[in-house]
Amino acid sequence: MLFVDEKAEAQSQAAGTAQNAVGSLLIVRKDGIQETLRGKGAVSLYEFDVLKTEPGNQAEILLDGAVQVYLNEGTEVMVLSRWEKHRPLIRILRVKKGELLVKIAEGPKPLEVETPVASARVKQTEFDIKVQEDGETTLRVLEGVVEFGTAFGTCPIRTGTVSYGVRGKKCTKPKEEDYAAALDWAKELARK
Amino acid sequence: MQRITGVSPVASFKLWPILLAGLIVGCAETPSVSNVMPPRDSTRIYVANEGSNTVSVIDGDTFKPVGEIESLNYATHDLALTRDGRKLFATNLASGAVSVIDTPTLQTVASIYTGKRSHVVAITNDGKHAWVANIADGTVSIVETVGYRVLGVIPVPQAMGITFSQDGQFAYVSSMNKTVSVVDVAAHQIIETIPVGTNPHFLVLAPNGYIWGTNTGQNDVFVIDPKENKVVGTLEVGQAPQQITFGYKGTTGPLAYISVGGLNKVVTTLADPKNLKIRDQIDVGEEPNGIWSNPVGSLVYVAHSKSNDLRVIDTATSQVLATVPLGRKPIRVVVSR
Repeated sequence: MLFVDEKAEAQSQAAGTAQNAVGSLLIVRKDGIQETLRGKGAVSLYEFDVLKTEPGNQAEILLDGAVQVYLNEGTEVMVLSRWEKHRPLIRILRVKKGELLVKIAEGPKPLEVETPVASARVKQTEFDIKVQEDGETTLRVLEGVVEFGTAFGTCPIRTGTVSYGVRGKKCTKPKEEDYAAALDWAKELARK
Repeated sequence: MQRITGVSPVASFKLWPILLAGLIVGCAETPSVSNVMPPRDSTRIYVANEGSNTVSVIDGDTFKPVGEIESLNYATHDLALTRDGRKLFATNLASGAVSVIDTPTLQTVASIYTGKRSHVVAITNDGKHAWVANIADGTVSIVETVGYRVLGVIPVPQAMGITFSQDGQFAYVSSMNKTVSVVDVAAHQIIETIPVGTNPHFLVLAPNGYIWGTNTGQNDVFVIDPKENKVVGTLEVGQAPQQITFGYKGTTGPLAYISVGGLNKVVTTLADPKNLKIRDQIDVGEEPNGIWSNPVGSLVYVAHSKSNDLRVIDTATSQVLATVPLGRKPIRVVVSR
């Protein structure tokens, strides 16, 4: 179409579905209205929703039909996106604290995960990101490549390696680590 | 005035005769224009209109409107221009987002959510990051100026205004809690907190390296010495001082030009913190707010949030040279370098 104003489509868009919660998943909408998912379900998620799991609770959500996200206990994450002219909308998860395991199916679905000290940009990959109360971030890549960065530098992190992001420093060089046990929580959640 | 929302094919068609003429002229053996006149950068003025969610663009030499750009967000408040002048970052208070404007095409090309009540934006001296103060979140977001990722946040309570020191090693962030925080740019940590006054707002770096700010709630301006990180001067200027820029009046200067919203005046003082005294009071429009000088400090541009216009002051004579209409509630003016 011609002569149509191009609006920032990032505002108030449907973003996905909350599918399962062990215990409960609290969804705080942009206007402060709260909704809770307990067990299996299909609660719609929108831009600016804040998702919270209390200690002992976990949840599973699907974003944009292609991004499976598992939320561990004690997690708080906001669902956002970034609009750029002539580029596909970039889905963003802004993690305040807690842990996410993210699996992205094939296809051109860019995703970024932001934490208080770092950012991870991914496509077609599987990774776990854990954020401490002070923002310190641990990134573990299960499959694929994650462009992990702080304001002080970017590190490509590949399958089977881990990197750390802390305030005021570049992300650490990738290091091999056996972290299978650390991700048991997500495997358990996927089975439920 | 042109309202820019896209490029129409009709407009492109109309440009053909001009392009053809240019081609013909280009083929002829004529001396390069750069041999005829010394190089001189043209100046562009950008004004954020909070009420109309737009940015007005004005030619800094002719004072004629060039266009009005939709921010694609709500309550456009502050502006920061990259050094090359090709990208303009605009905060939008109500949306909590920063709009990125491509200045050659005068179009918004990205929208980045930073946080609640995104108020002020400043670009680091190396040009890599835009720092955005989110008042309601109490954070400063670090945004890439190229990839637009948010690479982190720095907690600063009720963050309002930001400016960087001359060497770029420190950021000064004003807070509604009557302080200015000094942030180590290399560590993203607050290293010092300086008490100032009520409702400190925009901060600005003076040509002599001092950090200036307005206490919008208590009628004065303050000057911080970045070597000591303490207030070394204050000056009462009148009700609701808003923003500050610097210019020269003949051989005198640098002078600080302060927009004082409650007086409908621009007040001047020497920029020397040991010699703060009101020198001149220039009558302007209703509720002067945004203020910025041209690169050589011979003109000062003042935006008025009530009369919705921009006045151009000749610093040599303190006369208003021109008045240019703007959008609704203009807040911030920036000028290309």
